[in-house]
Amino acid sequence: MLAIEKLSVSYGSVRALSDVDLEVRGDGLLHGIIGPNGAGKSTLLDAICGRRRPTSGRVRYCGEDITQRSISWRRRQGMARSFQRTSVFQNLTVLDQLKLVAQHLGDDQLDDVIEVMDLGGYLEQKAGRIAYGVQRRVDVALALIGRPRLLLMDEPGAGLSATETLRLFGHVRDLVRERGIAAVVVEHDVDAVFACCGMVTVLDLGRHLATGTPEAIRADHRVIAAYLGTAA
Amino acid sequence: MSNGTMTDDLHAPVTTTLTGPLPRRSLAIVAGLIGLGAGAVVPTYLASDFVLRLGSEGLLLGLLALSVAFLMNQAGLVALGAASVYGGAGYLFAIGMSDWGLTPTAALGVAFLILLGYVAMLGALIVRTNPLAFMMLTLAAGEMISHAVLLEGLRDYTGGADGLVVRINGTVLGIDAIHFADPAKFWSLAWTVAVLVGLALWGVGRSRLGAVLRAIRENEERMRFSGFNTFLPRLTGYVLVNLVAAIAGFLHVLNAGFVSPESLGLSVSTNTLVAALIGGISGSLGPIFGGLLFSFAQDEFGARGLTQLLTGVAIVVFIVVFPQGVVGGLSGLSRRLGWRREGS
Repeated sequence: MLAIEKLSVSYGSVRALSDVDLEVRGDGLLHGIIGPNGAGKSTLLDAICGRRRPTSGRVRYCGEDITQRSISWRRRQGMARSFQRTSVFQNLTVLDQLKLVAQHLGDDQLDDVIEVMDLGGYLEQKAGRIAYGVQRRVDVALALIGRPRLLLMDEPGAGLSATETLRLFGHVRDLVRERGIAAVVVEHDVDAVFACCGMVTVLDLGRHLATGTPEAIRADHRVIAAYLGTAA
Repeated sequence: MSNGTMTDDLHAPVTTTLTGPLPRRSLAIVAGLIGLGAGAVVPTYLASDFVLRLGSEGLLLGLLALSVAFLMNQAGLVALGAASVYGGAGYLFAIGMSDWGLTPTAALGVAFLILLGYVAMLGALIVRTNPLAFMMLTLAAGEMISHAVLLEGLRDYTGGADGLVVRINGTVLGIDAIHFADPAKFWSLAWTVAVLVGLALWGVGRSRLGAVLRAIRENEERMRFSGFNTFLPRLTGYVLVNLVAAIAGFLHVLNAGFVSPESLGLSVSTNTLVAALIGGISGSLGPIFGGLLFSFAQDEFGARGLTQLLTGVAIVVFIVVFPQGVVGGLSGLSRRLGWRREGS
C-alpha cells in the first residue's frame, strides 16, 4: 500500500528525517509510529501526505511514485489525514462540512461515517461550539469520507483523556479492520498504540530505529534504551 | 436571506437554499419584482436630474462595492484594485471605437474580452497568496495601470492626463447611445443592472461555488486535504467580481461620455471599500445601499467645503455604530426584534 524509500526531510540546516524506510500494508491493521519528541514522527506524516516536500527519497503509494503529487490529488486517490491540532471548519455546522466534502468525493455513505464517529447528536451545531473531543472526531470523520484506502493520523489522542484516546483508537481500529484499509497513526500515548496497533515503527532523532509487532517492539533493546525505558 | 431579502449570513449554511413555505417565497418574488420596477421608475418622476445623476453615481459605486464585498465575504480577500478594471473598461471601450474603428457594441465586446484575459492572468498570479499580500498586489497592479495611461508613449491612445472624450454613434447593445446621457433613463438602466447583478451574486453565494469559497476562506488546508482544488474557485470568484467592476465601468463611460485617469485612481478603490463597509459586506443590498449613501453624503459634505474631514468622521461613526454595515446592522436588529425568522 505505502512504501517509503530513503526519505529525508530537512528544515534549513536541521535534518528532521534521515533515510527512513518504511512499508505499510493494507491489511486492516493500524500501523503506529512512536518515538521521543523531535524524532520526526509528524514530519514523516507530512512528507507522506504531501504537506512537506522531502529533500530526498521517494513515497510510493499503491506502487506509484507520488513524491511530487499535490495534497488534493493524493486525497482524491484515497490518502486522507487528520491533524494533531484539530483542523475543522469552525463556523460551519458539523453536517454542512461533512456534506460538502462527501459531495466532492462522491461519497453517498456519509451516514456510516457519522455513526462510526458517533456524531449524530452534533450535526446541527457549528464545529467551533462543540467540545474539543467531539471536534477531534469531526476531524477524523472528515478524513474518513470518500472511503480512503490509507488513513494518516497525527496524534489523534492529543488533548484527549486516556479514556477518550482509547475510545477513539477503538473506533479507528474497528473501521480499519472492517474496511481492510491501511492506517498510520503517530501517537505519544504508547499504551494506546500497543493496545490497538498491529504493527509499530519507532523513530529516534529522525532515523528509523525498529519496526515490528507490539510484542517485538516492547522487547527490542534499542527501543527500550532510546525511548521506552521502563515505560514498557 | 432565505426569506427574500438580499442580506446574507456571513457564514451561510452550505445546504440552505431559498426554502420556506411556497406562498412566502412567492410573496417575496412578487415583492421583489414590484421593488425592481418601482425602483427603476418612481425616482424618475419624483427626483430632479441632479439627484438622479447623484443616485446613478451611487449605484455605479454600489456595483463596485458589491464586487469588492462579494470577494471579502465569500473568499476573505480584500481587493484594492477595483478602479483599474472600472476605469480600464472605459479606456478600452473608447480606444476600441476611436483607434480600432470598432462599432460601440463591438468595442464593448472586445474591451470585455481583454479585461477578462487581464483579470484571469492577474488572478492566476495573486489568488494563491495570503490575504494581506493579495490586497497589496491588487493595489500595486491598479497603481501600475493608472500610471501606465499617463505614459507619454501612450498619450495618442489614452489622452494622457486629459483623458478621452468618448463619442458614441448609433446604438450600444440595441440601446440608442443618447439614452445613456439622459439622467432618468440612465437611472432606470443602472438600477436594473445593479439589482440583477446583486441577485446574480446572491445566487452565486448560495451556490456550491459560494459554499466552497467560504470553506476555503475558513480552512484552506483542510479543503486541500479534503481533495479540493483551492486555486480554481478563488480564481473564478476573482474573475467574476472583476467582471462586475467592468460592467460598472462600461456604464460609467456610456453615461459620462469621457474617461479620465481619475477613474483608475486609488481614491475610486478606497471609496469602493468604504461604501462596502458602510453598507455591509454580507449581502447584495448592503454594498448598493452603501454606494448610494456615500454618493449623497459626498455631495452634502462637498457643499460645506469639508469633504475629506466630514467623510472621515462619518466613516468612523458608521463603522463604530454599525460594525456589520448599515444593512447588516438593521438586519440583525430586525432579527432580535423578531421581525425575521431566527436563523434566516
